[in-house]
Amino acid sequence: MMRIFDRTRRTRLFVALLLSAAIVLVTIDYRTHGNGPLEAIGRGIMTVIGPVQQAVTRTLRPVGDFLAGFTQVPSLKAEIIKLEQENALLQQREHQVTDIARENEELRKLLGIGHRFDLKTVTVRVTGVGPSNFENTVFIDRGTAEGVRRDLPVISGEGLVGRVVEASAHSARVLLVIDPSSAVAARLASNGQTGVISGKGGEQVQFDLFNVDAPVSLQDEVLTSGYRGGVYPAGIPIGTVARLDPKGSALTRRVWVRPYVDFTGLDYLLVVTGTGATR
Amino acid sequence: MIWKRALLLALLVITGLVIETSVLGQATLVGTKPQLLLLMTVALAMGEGPSLGAGFGFTAGLATDLMTGLPVGLTAVTYTILGYAVGTIRAQVQTPTAWLPAAMVFTGTLGGVLLYGGISLLLGQEAAGGRSLIEHSVYAACYNALLTPFLYPLVRGLGSRLRPARAMR
Repeated sequence: MMRIFDRTRRTRLFVALLLSAAIVLVTIDYRTHGNGPLEAIGRGIMTVIGPVQQAVTRTLRPVGDFLAGFTQVPSLKAEIIKLEQENALLQQREHQVTDIARENEELRKLLGIGHRFDLKTVTVRVTGVGPSNFENTVFIDRGTAEGVRRDLPVISGEGLVGRVVEASAHSARVLLVIDPSSAVAARLASNGQTGVISGKGGEQVQFDLFNVDAPVSLQDEVLTSGYRGGVYPAGIPIGTVARLDPKGSALTRRVWVRPYVDFTGLDYLLVVTGTGATR
Repeated sequence: MIWKRALLLALLVITGLVIETSVLGQATLVGTKPQLLLLMTVALAMGEGPSLGAGFGFTAGLATDLMTGLPVGLTAVTYTILGYAVGTIRAQVQTPTAWLPAAMVFTGTLGGVLLYGGISLLLGQEAAGGRSLIEHSVYAACYNALLTPFLYPLVRGLGSRLRPARAMR
């Protein structure tokens, strides 16, 4: 009886010690603002786990894809209907695009712009996703040794993906634009009205336009606005306006943007290490 | 051999973390990822008691924290409490049923995510997923409970190797 009592007391003491240690860690993390020894340990763990994660992901990618497909079956039917509608719309637009492309080519010549995006990039592959449901991050297979460093923008063929928030020698962590802590300076392609895109964790991101009376309508394209000293270069496509909140008494006009990028199926990405001008 | 047990515990955490962030990370169900390390904490606490449950919970939580940009220590606090609570409750159950593991994983995940989310909200963190914390925890709990029949026996089997060898008297 006495031994059971002792064991219970020892367990309680052990748990109290663990909880105290955890609270000390929370305090250290808050005081160092994510730039202290804990971040260095995190980078160390990434260095150890990164290669294992890459090997597992590459070997078991078919299993992961199967599981991902299996869990997405209910939404596939709706997706097919949506894609058929989009296809019809795109066929319609194709005819318009030929004309716009010709006009664009002429304007490019006029302005002397060689390329719309003259970016210096590193091709990376996604090796894993963040373990928490409270954060939207992915891990990539390139790090500081390959020129990937903190605060570099990450894009895909469709548009803006996010930015690097932590980099070890051969792997890095990317914060996606849909994450609640992400903020991107953006503008409407149609009239240049600027604002800030913030993630909400869901499929759509929030776009707060600085001008309350800014003219905005559904399907308007949203691009990064870029500014001196900013993280993202100007002109990277983000998505299209999907929902308009009614004008209220707020200081900004709030609309919702559906990103071009499908964040559930990220694979190959580009880390922007510089622009043509800075090369 | 305490160092052997510590090494095995560390290997279990790393394996869990790698699987959680690679294969299972892609398999989201209604936008929610399964919480493998949380499931492992519950399974080990049920099999090996509150002390090992809390110890594994702390290590797994800390490893998770260090792999995210979220405040370090929060997941460690949550999983430690969870491991201790599940181990203590399991010790009170005299006649376990076949449903007990799934029920404990469901309740444990629900409680764990709510506790983590609650502390996070107090510290000014916003939950991802564009939905309320309750929805978030229910989805994660259902997903983990669905995985229980496949993973629970495996984790319990591995956990039994963490048991200290009894001296012959």
